[in-house]
Amino acid sequence: MSGLFKTFLHDKHVSLGATMVDFGSWHMPLQYHSGIVEEHLATRKSAGLFDVSHMGRFIVRGGGALGFLQHVLSNNAAALDTGFAQYTMIPDDRGGALDDAYLYRFTPDEYLLVVNAANREADWSYFNERLSLFREVRMEDVSGTMAMLSLQGPSSRAILRGLVGPGGLPEPIRNAIRSASIRGKKVWISRTGYTGEPLGFEFFLAAADAPWLWDLFLEKGAVPVGLGARDTLRLEAGLPLFGHELGKDPAGEEIPVFACPLARFAVSLSPLKREFVGREALSVQFAALKKIQDEDFSSLEDLPRRIMPFALREKGIARAGFRVFKGAEEIGFVTSGTMVPYWNTAGTGLSTRFTGERGMRAIGMMLVDSRLKKDDPVEIEIRGDQVDAVVVPYHLRSDAPPYAMPILQRPAEEPEKSHTGAWQDKTFDLLERALQNTLWRQNECINLIPSEQTVSPMVRRLTMMDPAFRYAEHRSLRSYYDAEVFYYQGTDFIDRVEVLLKEEITRYLGCRKVEPRVISGQMANAVVFSGLVDYLNKGDRKMEPRRIRSVLNNHMIRGGHLSAQPMGALFNFVRIDPRTEKPAVVNFPVMEENPYKIDVEATCRVIDESRPELIIFGKSMVLHREPVREIRDFLQEQEIETIVLYDMAHVLGLVGPYFQEPFAEGADLVTGSTHKTFFGTQRGVIAGNWREEEKLYALWESVENRTFPGGVSNHHLGTLLGLLVAAYEMNCFRDAYQQAVIRNAKAFAGALRDAGLQVAGDPAVSFTETHQVIVKVEYARAVEAARRLEASNIICNYQAAPDEEGFTAAGALRMGVQEMTRFGMGPEDFRSLAQCIHDVVVGGRSIRKEVTAFRTRFLTMRYCFAEDRFADLMDKLHRFI
Amino acid sequence: MKKIEEIEVPGELRYTPDHEWVRPEGDLVRVGLTDYAQDQLGDIVYVELPSVGIHIAQGAVFATVESVKSVSDCLMPLSGAITAVNGALADNPALLNESPYGDGWMILVKPDDPAAVSQLLTAESYRARLNGGG
Repeated sequence: MSGLFKTFLHDKHVSLGATMVDFGSWHMPLQYHSGIVEEHLATRKSAGLFDVSHMGRFIVRGGGALGFLQHVLSNNAAALDTGFAQYTMIPDDRGGALDDAYLYRFTPDEYLLVVNAANREADWSYFNERLSLFREVRMEDVSGTMAMLSLQGPSSRAILRGLVGPGGLPEPIRNAIRSASIRGKKVWISRTGYTGEPLGFEFFLAAADAPWLWDLFLEKGAVPVGLGARDTLRLEAGLPLFGHELGKDPAGEEIPVFACPLARFAVSLSPLKREFVGREALSVQFAALKKIQDEDFSSLEDLPRRIMPFALREKGIARAGFRVFKGAEEIGFVTSGTMVPYWNTAGTGLSTRFTGERGMRAIGMMLVDSRLKKDDPVEIEIRGDQVDAVVVPYHLRSDAPPYAMPILQRPAEEPEKSHTGAWQDKTFDLLERALQNTLWRQNECINLIPSEQTVSPMVRRLTMMDPAFRYAEHRSLRSYYDAEVFYYQGTDFIDRVEVLLKEEITRYLGCRKVEPRVISGQMANAVVFSGLVDYLNKGDRKMEPRRIRSVLNNHMIRGGHLSAQPMGALFNFVRIDPRTEKPAVVNFPVMEENPYKIDVEATCRVIDESRPELIIFGKSMVLHREPVREIRDFLQEQEIETIVLYDMAHVLGLVGPYFQEPFAEGADLVTGSTHKTFFGTQRGVIAGNWREEEKLYALWESVENRTFPGGVSNHHLGTLLGLLVAAYEMNCFRDAYQQAVIRNAKAFAGALRDAGLQVAGDPAVSFTETHQVIVKVEYARAVEAARRLEASNIICNYQAAPDEEGFTAAGALRMGVQEMTRFGMGPEDFRSLAQCIHDVVVGGRSIRKEVTAFRTRFLTMRYCFAEDRFADLMDKLHRFI
Repeated sequence: MKKIEEIEVPGELRYTPDHEWVRPEGDLVRVGLTDYAQDQLGDIVYVELPSVGIHIAQGAVFATVESVKSVSDCLMPLSGAITAVNGALADNPALLNESPYGDGWMILVKPDDPAAVSQLLTAESYRARLNGGG
């Protein structure tokens, strides 16, 4: 053992009683006392602590560093922004892997490359050979001075938060990194790991501090995990191990990089990378892979085998090297395989939870015929026997933080038939249930979902009236001096309704143009994006249209809505940035002390750098006014041409002096949904403010054109009619209603704080300037809190706060006062409600009866027309429902 | 892993150099893996046992025991017919770790030559071998 390397934590492992083994010339812990199974399970349920200091760490710096990294690594190092890390291969000329590695960019001018322990020396010499081709690159092996620890699992976040404070964690995004100080010592922290855990961190620090940090994590409850469980965890996560899924196979044949599913993320063929090692071979593999995925096997010889996860269907364990068959034909071999433990789960969907019982399953990965697909049966030869196995898509999923969830091979369940019997019986049942649901939500619940609204009785009736079943497609014709021409007869009434509605909304928003035909807020945004692309390409209709060059919006984790995101309505309309190879979207920076508020100064810098073609204000978790005027002033000052869109979905009903006035402040376009703070039926709306003589009026025409015929044919005439009355109600009562909403929200927020709950937002403005109030409950416990509130007839939604990893990890509740304000609740009532919420969330009480009784005081809708003169007509209309 | 002095070696059993134990029970013998063997293997996650009724010669493989990291063959301590196997190990192979001399037994054998048991290692000599490096 004397010839083996020891990490800075070697003595710790020995004193913990670890079973030490020789691992790639390192004397490393295989397991500690509790064993591989317990260490694996502890990582999945609480937190595992790994010494990964045996891995090689190279710092690359200097003016030529980027060019060098682009040459020797497969990923696009130019796409790596400061504060992030990326997975990469070290390819060879033939498209195989010399190693796989992680590249970290902690500071703008310095990269850290972490390579496999066993390959450190080979990688180092290889890099030094290649280095001669580059100037101004300095490479330093810091493996001997910098330690590396890894803390993985659902409790890792809380352990770390306790040490660095809430602001010390990297952003809740995979591969985000940041510098932090733990008890005065400098540590680089990254959200990376080799376990598949959605919560996991790696730490880089001075070697001398490593034993101290190791002990600190153990003291905070982390469980030490050896190489044994490190391997079962990565196997369950489907992550490749060099020498098994990457590098050379047992016969000495090189495994093509694209055989490995992760290659999609680790290889970039961007033109920005120019000629890099392996480019040609990798391009050929990638072309073959794309065909194979399309079930075109004409280039199969370029990628004959791929790595696929499998699960055994019979007893046994398939180990590395075992042969895989399909019938009589040998189609590949196992690259890694063993039996791994998992926590049993019970319940479905969001109710899924660990039962505390454990199971074991034989799983693995194999390098097999590329034509295989998921669910294909194969046989694996185990000591002479053919054992049934199946190709699975994955063994584990990480998309429900804070837990990594095991995905087992389950027989397909027969969908439960909800109701059998005569159609009349089903109908009766449906009517009964619909009635119950309506009574419950309208008479018994306190409705606090900020994106909802009950419409007035008058709106409700009109929504059901005749145009509801009709069509009224129309467009303006230049031949008739832009008169609207309808395609069907019988439309005079709805024609007039639409004209009146435009007038009302134009008045309400203080703008010149309104397009009311879009039937949802998301459609409103999609139409604007489509209209902008149309406008940008108006000069040349023969070329492939170009997309929006770049967009500035609110990040999803900070409340941005999917209707302004590339994964939502922006999907088809924003360009892929050739540098980052991702949609060209940058996000508003936010204030350090209040992530719900845009940082105007930093935003100006971002605008200056990224020159967005479209700026999208607005979000679905919104506490503060958006700095429209400040940004417009900056754009004017700097003479930057860009379109400013304010998606007012949530706050459309608050437009005015008590909140903000988008057009007066400089927005070009406003979109919104008409049924959140606004009084309407469920629809969308688009508004603009250009005069016909202005250059950008052509954009407005594109928007109209992309609405019809681009977006809708039938624009839902019933809700259009209902919306007109809602607009009358809003224009008549807006002053009183808006003031009441904002007053109530502030009172509610203050009372929740006074009741002992943690309320988000700026305390200087009573936490909120909108209808919304955000309350932090407990990390990953908001789903449960929202359900308990529902059981007490208080309806709100769980919400991931900006520092949380996703909706399953949500620790906040989002509430809006708008609907209950309309039913007459005032500040005092919201203070009582705040106490109720505290009693349920903190006190664990169930107060359904009390809440139902409370609601009976607020059953009559305000801010709507209820005068006697309408009674007869309302009655007549009612008879048609 | 346990220190050698922490390894249990019950005095009434007989042992093989390959870390199987043998307990005479009337004209049958019960066979299992020693505490030392289970500790070396770590978490045992799968056990493949022979079919009842077959005859296995001394030194031949009668079972395969797998831990997360390794596969080990168990060798027949003496020639004989398998009269029973411990079915509980199929569902709960960890019994081998938890109770190597009790619930974690592996097979029951009718030896060809009942006297062959006396040729196996005594507890003392087995422990001496462990002390000598196993």
